[in-house]
Amino acid sequence: MRAHNETFLEEILPPEDRVIEAVVARYQRVAPAVTRFARSIAGNDELRVRLGSKASASKDEIVINPGVFQAAYARSAPVTPTEVALTSALHEAIHLIATDFDEERPIPESWLAHRRTLDDDGAEAPPLAELTSYDWIEPEAEFGDDTTPHPLDDLFEPDHLPTSGPVTLLDALHTVAGPAAEAMFLSLEDARQEQRHLAPYPGARSVLSDLYRAAVPGAAANARPLGQFALACFLIVGGYFDRDDLQRRVAPHVALALDDAVPFLDAVTELDDPWSVGGVALQLIEVARMHGLLTEGAAADSSVGRRTEMAADEMAIAESVDAVRIVTPPLADRDGYEETRNAAQTVSAEHGRHGEADQAGDPATDQLMKVSTAPTVYLPTGQAGKLIVSDFPVEFRRFAHQGRDLLEIATREWGVAQRRVSGELYPLFLANQRRGLRSGFDAGDLSPYTPLLLGAGLYERMFERRDLPNRRSYGVSLLVDGSASMLQPREVRGGRKRPWALAAATLGAWTLARLADELQIEFEVAIFNRGFVAAAGDTERSFTERRARATGALRRAQGGSAERLTRTVNHYVVKSFASRWRAAEDALAGLFWMAAAPQEAAKEARKDPDAAPPLSMFDKAANVDEFNLAHAAERLSARNVSHRIIVVLADGMTRGSVEALAETAVSIERGGTMVLGIGIGDETVKAAYARNQVVERPETLAPAMVDGVRSALLRSIAGGGGDTWWAHATEKITQHTS
Amino acid sequence: MSDTVTFEDPLGIGVPITLTRASIPEDLPDAEIRSDHIPEPDPYYVDLGMLYRLAALEQVRKRRFTGIPLHLALRGHMGTGKDHDLEQFAAILGLPYYRIPLTGEVRDITLIGSVKLHGDGKGGTESRWEDGDITRALRGPSLVNLSELNAAGAETLFALHGLLDRHQALELPTGEMVRLRTDVRIFGTLNPTDLRDYAGTQTLNKAFSDRWIIWEKQFPSEDELRLMIERRHPTLRSELVEFVSKLAVEINESFVAGDARTRVETPMSLRTVLDRIPAGLDMYGAAEDPLRRAWEEFVLPHIDPYDRDHYETVWSAVVRRGPSGDPFSG
Repeated sequence: MRAHNETFLEEILPPEDRVIEAVVARYQRVAPAVTRFARSIAGNDELRVRLGSKASASKDEIVINPGVFQAAYARSAPVTPTEVALTSALHEAIHLIATDFDEERPIPESWLAHRRTLDDDGAEAPPLAELTSYDWIEPEAEFGDDTTPHPLDDLFEPDHLPTSGPVTLLDALHTVAGPAAEAMFLSLEDARQEQRHLAPYPGARSVLSDLYRAAVPGAAANARPLGQFALACFLIVGGYFDRDDLQRRVAPHVALALDDAVPFLDAVTELDDPWSVGGVALQLIEVARMHGLLTEGAAADSSVGRRTEMAADEMAIAESVDAVRIVTPPLADRDGYEETRNAAQTVSAEHGRHGEADQAGDPATDQLMKVSTAPTVYLPTGQAGKLIVSDFPVEFRRFAHQGRDLLEIATREWGVAQRRVSGELYPLFLANQRRGLRSGFDAGDLSPYTPLLLGAGLYERMFERRDLPNRRSYGVSLLVDGSASMLQPREVRGGRKRPWALAAATLGAWTLARLADELQIEFEVAIFNRGFVAAAGDTERSFTERRARATGALRRAQGGSAERLTRTVNHYVVKSFASRWRAAEDALAGLFWMAAAPQEAAKEARKDPDAAPPLSMFDKAANVDEFNLAHAAERLSARNVSHRIIVVLADGMTRGSVEALAETAVSIERGGTMVLGIGIGDETVKAAYARNQVVERPETLAPAMVDGVRSALLRSIAGGGGDTWWAHATEKITQHTS
Repeated sequence: MSDTVTFEDPLGIGVPITLTRASIPEDLPDAEIRSDHIPEPDPYYVDLGMLYRLAALEQVRKRRFTGIPLHLALRGHMGTGKDHDLEQFAAILGLPYYRIPLTGEVRDITLIGSVKLHGDGKGGTESRWEDGDITRALRGPSLVNLSELNAAGAETLFALHGLLDRHQALELPTGEMVRLRTDVRIFGTLNPTDLRDYAGTQTLNKAFSDRWIIWEKQFPSEDELRLMIERRHPTLRSELVEFVSKLAVEINESFVAGDARTRVETPMSLRTVLDRIPAGLDMYGAAEDPLRRAWEEFVLPHIDPYDRDHYETVWSAVVRRGPSGDPFSG
């Protein structure tokens, strides 16, 4: 039996913990320390470490692609998820900081001599040791000399050998010994960087070692001899395996080659200059050639055949090493390196500043971060899921004027009172009124934290609400279905069809808000839907553009997971418990107008998408009601109130299961919160909520909501000891009218 | 005992400095009490160069700056060993050591003294002057350490201005003038004033600050820590010494990080490194991973909850799994 610290990652990590958002969430916990480590390694206190969909490295910023972390979690190794989060991030940071092969130098004469001997069948070859002696001195900068032909012009033609002019290291290696040397160099440099920069972090290094060691048997068994040789070199330089152990795992002639390679490998960890490491790569390729590990068949007689063989050798090296190491983009291959370097330049050139979510203006990563940092909601059934909680877009205030006008008409048409909504409840809540007067924000005590609040610009919190719980403290939470189906035309009087569901629900919310405001009881209004989540500051254009960019980028980067990441379960708080009703009125009025006159609103949005609210946020996707209900209950239970009421208004089936929804409602009721379910033309509520009502007409919706709450309030007063005649009377009236 | 003491530069750069040990005049009324204030040399104390610098300043004072006020304050984060340095300096020089903490509650009468009522033995009372903490220390040879300089209120510190500037005397309300003796040295220690949670500290009054030489005391380096741990716990296994030193260095680097998003609010003090963790290692020596247990029981409880992830990340990066087996070899 294995000890507990030898449990394998794949055994303890269920699939849902390996999805990208879970991986990013885990990274978030280690990110501050990783950033600090990265700054120490780079010797740059200004260095920023951020997530992005494309890895990049520049002087003051490295961007890590979280996909790299995700790959590490697929390993079967005795490590914990947190250890992998730290190590994969630190590993990535180190390589992005340390990898820079952009410096151009003339190809060393010893390399060129070596190359010439290869062309001359190895006659008069210089000693291999000379390949790492590099006596080049950086020349003085010269300006205006553009006449020298660039050596890259004939770089990829092995028969032509450039002899003058500076080139980058990768180009030099490619020119001298082809792509295999390039691949060998990248794997050696990878191991060297890990050996050097992870030295102060032996814990992280041991995690990397465990990950690698677990992958070696499979990789060595599947590799060609050249691949085994390259893998062994990588592991020896990195200090992950000793030579004897490796020699038992590889083919006999590879083991012999390793004996010859060791003197060169021992020197690598001491090297500082990537060009010297390049020299070692050439030496190792030569050792491989001497032991017949390179592909040198009859095809080598032709230029095409030679290229094919070189590509096969490159592949053999890369595949075997990649099967073991965590592949980091800058050291994966030449393309990866160039993409990493170019991405940094593109980001700085195109944007010049960082994105809102500190993610280099990358909407895909913004979205990924949003999902990974979203709260996880747990249901009584044991299911769990992410819920994106966001403020309702404020731009809906733009429609407030039209909304208020239309509200007046609607209240008349549907017979919903807007003044003294509380009616006979009002005198019963005088205690709350007094509390409001005494301790409201405008007439309360000056908060002892006033200087801090003023400093933070939180003027409205200068006056602290005194916490005076009395016998009748209430909290009401209203949840409204915000899916696009709520905007579909439905039958009204005379057989005509109009989109009234969301409009009537908004009117109900409006009226309920007034009731709660009149009675000075705490209330919250939220809208829930599923789709690409809108931000509080979104306009129609910013929302649609962000959605398109994020969806496209996530499809490219995450494939099938993109749907899950972009079509999230959203909970928009229109009016929170903490905010004032006055602050939310305009947004709700604007929402009402959009709901009551969707075509006109759409026309406005098309006319001026930069100013219009994000109407496209109402997506045609089924909700997951139970997550929203559970979250609303959690928020409500955090309030210091004795009586809690949740009103849920929906028009159809939940995308989850009705059983899960029903169990959620029951568990919330057991916790002392009353849940009222109102269905619009749909009887699902009957199966999900013990207290339910189905409405078929707009004129019955708002009264159903308001009367339901009124009735609940009255019942709670009667149940709380206020057994008076008016409570019974009103009960009867309420029951009679409903 | 020799009348002189020689301070070597631990860096091996400066020439050795020889100073004369202090002597307490026998005619002092409180000679015996004062002798009791001479600290014992700490056999485990490791001089990281501070004693040599203090000796160098002392030499300068005696050589060319006699009568010129050169008072020194050491500024550093908690657990960097500021007070310990001063105490050991006094111990080596044989100077009575008076550590006077300047808390927010300290008033000028506490420091200087006040008139107090005493029974006259005849049923009545009489008022007598009673020296305060500083006055008492100044009446004979001493090394006065005004610790937590920036915790005292400015009005309290004003009372010391005359003592610390060229006036070099404390004027008592009784009219007595207590002059700064040539065998008295005044030092101070303080924590840096920033947004860290050093409750009760404040920015030093500029005029008061101007009366001091202020030297920064940094957290010790990894090698220095290793030396300290080895001196204090010579039988502690070397890999544990290395892990503890590395942990402290990494945590303290995170503590001094300028960026609030990447730093922790609690450093690993010398008390944690030299006392608590070794005690934990001894206590949990039979555990599967004694260092982890010591970390969980003797380090993490000191940490703010929001710093826990950072601490644990440093643990994973530096140690991950501590060695099993008895932490001490003897």
